[in-house]
Amino acid sequence: MGAVHHDLAGGGPTFEPMIQIDMEIKAFVSAWRHCDYVSTYMARMISQNRSDSVRHSNLFSSAFNELLEVAFRTRHADGELACRVSRHGATDRIELTFPCVPEERQFYEEAVSQLAGIEARERYLNSVSGDLAPSRELVLLELAVDYNATLWIEDADGDAIKLVVDLPLEGLQN
Amino acid sequence: MSPYDLLPRFKAQYDANNQEFSISGVVRPQAIDELGPSIALLRDAIGRVRGVLYVNVRRLTQMNNAAFHTFSRIIIDACRARPELKFVVITSSVVGWTSRKFGRLSGIEPNITVEEYDTEFYPGQGFLEEGGFVPILRTQTKMTWRHERAILPRHGMRPGIVMADICCGIGDFAVLVQKEFQPSRIVALDHSMTSLDYARRVMREFDIRGIEYTYGDASEMLLDETQFDLVTCRHSLQIFNRPELILRELYRICKPGGRVYITNEKNSHCLGEPRAESIRWTYDEVAKLFKHFEMDVELGPKSRRYLVEAGFEDIRVETFMVTNLDGDPQDFADVIAAWADVYAGEMATRRGDGPEFVARFRQGFEDHIFAALHPKGYAGWPIWVASGRRPQ
Ligand SMILES: C[S@@+](CC[C@H](N)C(=O)[O-])C[C@H]1O[C@@H](n2cnc3c(N)ncnc32)[C@H](O)[C@@H]1O
Repeated sequence: MGAVHHDLAGGGPTFEPMIQIDMEIKAFVSAWRHCDYVSTYMARMISQNRSDSVRHSNLFSSAFNELLEVAFRTRHADGELACRVSRHGATDRIELTFPCVPEERQFYEEAVSQLAGIEARERYLNSVSGDLAPSRELVLLELAVDYNATLWIEDADGDAIKLVVDLPLEGLQN
Repeated sequence: MSPYDLLPRFKAQYDANNQEFSISGVVRPQAIDELGPSIALLRDAIGRVRGVLYVNVRRLTQMNNAAFHTFSRIIIDACRARPELKFVVITSSVVGWTSRKFGRLSGIEPNITVEEYDTEFYPGQGFLEEGGFVPILRTQTKMTWRHERAILPRHGMRPGIVMADICCGIGDFAVLVQKEFQPSRIVALDHSMTSLDYARRVMREFDIRGIEYTYGDASEMLLDETQFDLVTCRHSLQIFNRPELILRELYRICKPGGRVYITNEKNSHCLGEPRAESIRWTYDEVAKLFKHFEMDVELGPKSRRYLVEAGFEDIRVETFMVTNLDGDPQDFADVIAAWADVYAGEMATRRGDGPEFVARFRQGFEDHIFAALHPKGYAGWPIWVASGRRPQ
């Protein structure tokens, strides 16, 4: 659970690419339903050889849609959205690259660095008691706490950010 | 615009009799005002109820955080404004994220509890899902398959189709179909994890491809509508207290022009010679026993009515009799012995039957076995097969 500083240089397991979708961020943000389309479509495609494809697809779509909604709210109007899913054993890795402004980038970096530990869990569990609308931080917290996801940020070209999320859904289901 | 954009993707309802607010479908709004009518309905429901408000999210397949936050906020505020009011959120174990997500609410407000509804959702579930039934199903399917392999093509089975087997049990039927008819894809659904584990193990060990096993509830499936050429549901409508609800789901996932195929029994028509009287008495009692647990093992001949009422056309009904002469009579005897174990065992005990009744009840099964193994004997188990086409 929580954030991990990934050892990029040191080998690590190899994730096999499964599917990738790229589109102009302008096109993506032109309609809200794109989040639902893309998450549903990709979830179906990558779940086919999971032991329970129907439920895997439902869970994956649920998690992925939240990430896409985060990307949808970016304040940067130019560039590319890239969604890539790869797999290693029971874990599916989502790499979501999208343009963002420097403050947003800083926000994500902070949010991701605070995902680990007991306080994160506490913050998540209490998050609906505040009055504000759900924050982007909450979305990340939920992935870490409820989906057992590991999240981190990698470098991307230009004014963009790459959010990487390892989702161990196959182990989560039963 | 595609029809997708025009269809409301979720539905909220309030049932005043049961004090139950339910929301189902895919709830992924961009802005909260898209939820306006549903929010008004929930607020209104909160205003009316006394005691407990049930919030049913069993059929909620997706809900984004924006929507979740909005609904949660209303419920939490209501708890604070009216401390005497309790909320029970009903989730489904099939939709994995709901229990976790809604579970948080009970940590925030003690007046909110979260229950997974399908741990005990029909009376006979215990016997059928995790009970002694698993081994019986194997032999049963082996015996019924001899007949069904010839029958199925008359009900829409052919190579290359996309099919679903709902309430698939341990998956033997799906495997046999896969080998014999080579459909392009089989989705097999059941609500027993034990059976599905078994089915997946078989698939791995025998390197079978093309079958997707999924955990689900036949009365509320996560499967998309109109995707199957053939939907089979064998020996299972009869175990639900409201078979029409299952049939409605089978109809929903079937393509227009596709067929739904069901098999059911009429247990009181099991027969044997010699000792016909004792056998008949016992199987009459079997029907009553199941009825006590709200299951109708006499459903077979009612299949036609159910299919008509569910909106199917071109309905075809036939029967076959599994007998001791089909193959090894010992197989027949084994199945009966297994029935006796469960029916005259756990089920009779649960109903509170006395020893005298149980002894006579058991005797009928023993006589059926006797008939099956007797060199001049005959023993039978009749099955009703029915299918209907979903109109175009
Ligand atoms: C009598 S068995 C029939 C199994 C199989 N079709 C066969 O013919 O061998 C009934 C099956 O229905 C399953 N079942 C019971 N309730 C269910 C539900 N709500 N949704 C899906 N399957 C269910 C049980 O787990 C069991 O495997």
